[in-house]
Amino acid sequence: MADFIQLLVNGLAIGSVYALAAIGFVIVYSATGVVNFAAGQFVMFGTFAGVAMLVNARLPWPFAYGAALAVMALFGALFFLVVYLPLRRSSVVTIIIGTVAISITMQNAALLTFGSWPFRLPSPVEGKTVALGAAIISTHALAVVGVTATMVAGLWLLFNRTTVGIGMRAVAQDIQAARLMGLKVNRLLALSWVLAALLAGVAGLMLGPMWFADVSMGDPIALKAFAATIIGGFGSLPGAIVGGLLVGLSEVLGASYISSAYKDLISFGIMIVFLLVRPQGVFGEKIQDRG
Amino acid sequence: MNVLEARGISKRYGGLAALSDIDLKVGAGEFVAVIGPNGAGKSTLLNVLTGLVMPDDGQVLLDGRVVTRTATHQRIRAGLGRTFQQGRTFNRLTVLENVMTGAAIRRDLGEAALRRTAMAILEQMGLSAEADEAIGSLSYGRRRMVELSRALACGPRILLLDEPAAGLNSGEVDQLADRLSELRAKHGLAVVLIEHNMSMVMRLAERIMVLNFGCRIAEGAPSAIQADPAVLSAYLGEGYVHAGM
Amino acid sequence: MAMRIPLALFAVIMVAGVLLSLVLPEYHLRLLNLSVISAVAVIGLNFAFGYAGLISLGHAAFVGMGAYGLAILTTRYGWSPWSAMPVAVAATAVFAGLIGFPLLRLKGHYLALATLGLNVSFYIVASNWIALTGGTNGIARIPELHIAGRALSGEREFLWFGLLVLAAVAAVASILHVSRHGRAMIAVRDDEIAAEMTGIDATAVKIAAFVLSAICAAIAGCLFACHMRFIAPEDFSYAHSITYLAMLIVGGESSIAGAILGSVLLTFLPEWLRFLGPAYLVLFGILVLGILVFLPKGIVGLARFTPKPPKLAAPTPVPTPEAGS
Repeated sequence: MADFIQLLVNGLAIGSVYALAAIGFVIVYSATGVVNFAAGQFVMFGTFAGVAMLVNARLPWPFAYGAALAVMALFGALFFLVVYLPLRRSSVVTIIIGTVAISITMQNAALLTFGSWPFRLPSPVEGKTVALGAAIISTHALAVVGVTATMVAGLWLLFNRTTVGIGMRAVAQDIQAARLMGLKVNRLLALSWVLAALLAGVAGLMLGPMWFADVSMGDPIALKAFAATIIGGFGSLPGAIVGGLLVGLSEVLGASYISSAYKDLISFGIMIVFLLVRPQGVFGEKIQDRG
Repeated sequence: MNVLEARGISKRYGGLAALSDIDLKVGAGEFVAVIGPNGAGKSTLLNVLTGLVMPDDGQVLLDGRVVTRTATHQRIRAGLGRTFQQGRTFNRLTVLENVMTGAAIRRDLGEAALRRTAMAILEQMGLSAEADEAIGSLSYGRRRMVELSRALACGPRILLLDEPAAGLNSGEVDQLADRLSELRAKHGLAVVLIEHNMSMVMRLAERIMVLNFGCRIAEGAPSAIQADPAVLSAYLGEGYVHAGM
Repeated sequence: MAMRIPLALFAVIMVAGVLLSLVLPEYHLRLLNLSVISAVAVIGLNFAFGYAGLISLGHAAFVGMGAYGLAILTTRYGWSPWSAMPVAVAATAVFAGLIGFPLLRLKGHYLALATLGLNVSFYIVASNWIALTGGTNGIARIPELHIAGRALSGEREFLWFGLLVLAAVAAVASILHVSRHGRAMIAVRDDEIAAEMTGIDATAVKIAAFVLSAICAAIAGCLFACHMRFIAPEDFSYAHSITYLAMLIVGGESSIAGAILGSVLLTFLPEWLRFLGPAYLVLFGILVLGILVFLPKGIVGLARFTPKPPKLAAPTPVPTPEAGS
């Protein structure tokens, strides 16, 4: 039983990271229609921004995290300018290939900067644990779940109680109407990308201590984020959260109870089943093909 | 036996009744017009008849055979044809290739025969000069004629036309009306026409059915419909009542 | 008359290819062989995506099925490659047909992600079903192809055979392109509802395009297996699927010549950039992005100097007929 609780918490922690990555992916998709295949590399960048600030520059914790997130925000804006704007009238496939191409650039730029050896990104609560009965839970894992929950609450506030957030939702629903209403659409679109980059950054900073920081970590994360959004419902934020948690849990529990080698197959299997049986996912709308 | 029949067709979208218990009978060679204000359910009716939408209630029959759940392409093979409001052409194919796609419904025709059949139709429709043009270089009116040619190439016995005159200038509308008359005379083609252009409707229709809010509010000969108070009140204020009557 | 273009294509490929084979050094011949194998796969992808509009990110899995089919039959059961090839290709085609039914009801990025999931699943199974596939160690000592008793050893000899296969596949593809079947595929992508309204069974057409693409992929896989003589799961990862799609888009989708050009360019480009040292892949990604932005119709778009038609607003798509007029 103790094992199960530990696995559950770990699964929820990993799931939270996937959920954050998936939320960023969904925000961008809802606002811009772009299926961002570089979503995983965004998370990797977040982890390595942490490495750069914490390990290399040896900044104290709050400054390191702040600097890393600032870098991610800048990167999100850069991505909007250099990748999204030129491609925004292109077809779905062209955008997919475009984001993949940049994903290759990102991965290799990181490789050039940091080399191929994995890094160890420490956590502010490194090594600390909490006892829940007979189970020993890593404090970091609990913190991850807590931070994610806080961020989700923050996002809810943003999208429902702030002008900016409501503007972003308007753009996501009908870009022409938003323009006609006088909303500064380009600014809001850029903001969507910045927000997605920030979420990925947080995900990366929290994931680093749980795995190793490795320049090739982006792709597996992207795949999990995609599975999460399919399962949860493609355009849906609550769906991204539920999907992410489900994927994290199935991965951790599946590895322990079913098979470690085939653990990834379990999440993809679930994703494929959803695609065949209920493509709109748990929460999503019944749209199969966006525009 | 009627070529096409709709019996008690009903369709709801959430709380909205798009169609309520609609009956329609079209005999061989008959020309029926379906008119009504926007939102009346006319396109939905066509969608049900062609199989793009499944009704909640009722049946669709083609030559007396129930086809309510039959796939669209099979209904086309059985003699149904349809054009769309927006004029849906295959934009990566040339004009001739578009029509050849329709002619290809005859599986026994070889490539050369398909080409000949398609060219013959283009000549009839006055489009033979543009046979090898890309769709993108045609005007809106010409594109809709290409779509109509393609529908005709499938050899239908009944053609459903969704606002074919929309966006055409008056010269093109007259041309279209002439063509439709010729086709009926030559091939005994039955037609169901959805239109707002009343002069065209009055010129061609033998019978008119009027829909409003998904219900049939009148049906009969053009002269009767013109005078029907229910029809007049449905259209009141839109000015169509006076056009060309 | 209908055979004019396919024959011309066949001739151009053979002549250009053989000339290059006599002129280029060994290392470039190896790249050319890889390009030719990729081109066969990408011509297949052109059917699925270029014509029928199916976003398949699982193409490399079909290549892998062909390769593993041949490798297992030859190394484990002692079959000759010539008898193993048709069996491997047929098995892949049947599989594609079977999963096509449920899969091809999906569209757009849903289909993209479903095929991606399939590719990843293939990779996981190939890496872990050690008894069948050798796992991540792969399968080695795949026999060479022999023609008339003589082994195709060395890059040049294999290239001639590869060119022959490519030319044949390209010729068949171009015959299909101008046939009613090719037009039906193009129609389904352009406007699926209008295609149905023209008596075309869109589902059947999509499955046919999918199976066709799988056949070409499997042929490429068999060529790969016989050429490299060693295969491993990472040769068929989803990264390769994305590469095939990129080759098609960069070369020019809906074009057989584009498929070939894109394959050659994206095989050679990383090598041409190698002089940049470790930064070459960084630049590769940026270059591909640049091509997508500035040459939206791909490389073959450069050759088409037709005057731009007047800009038409695309008809608003009506994917599900709604309550309306």
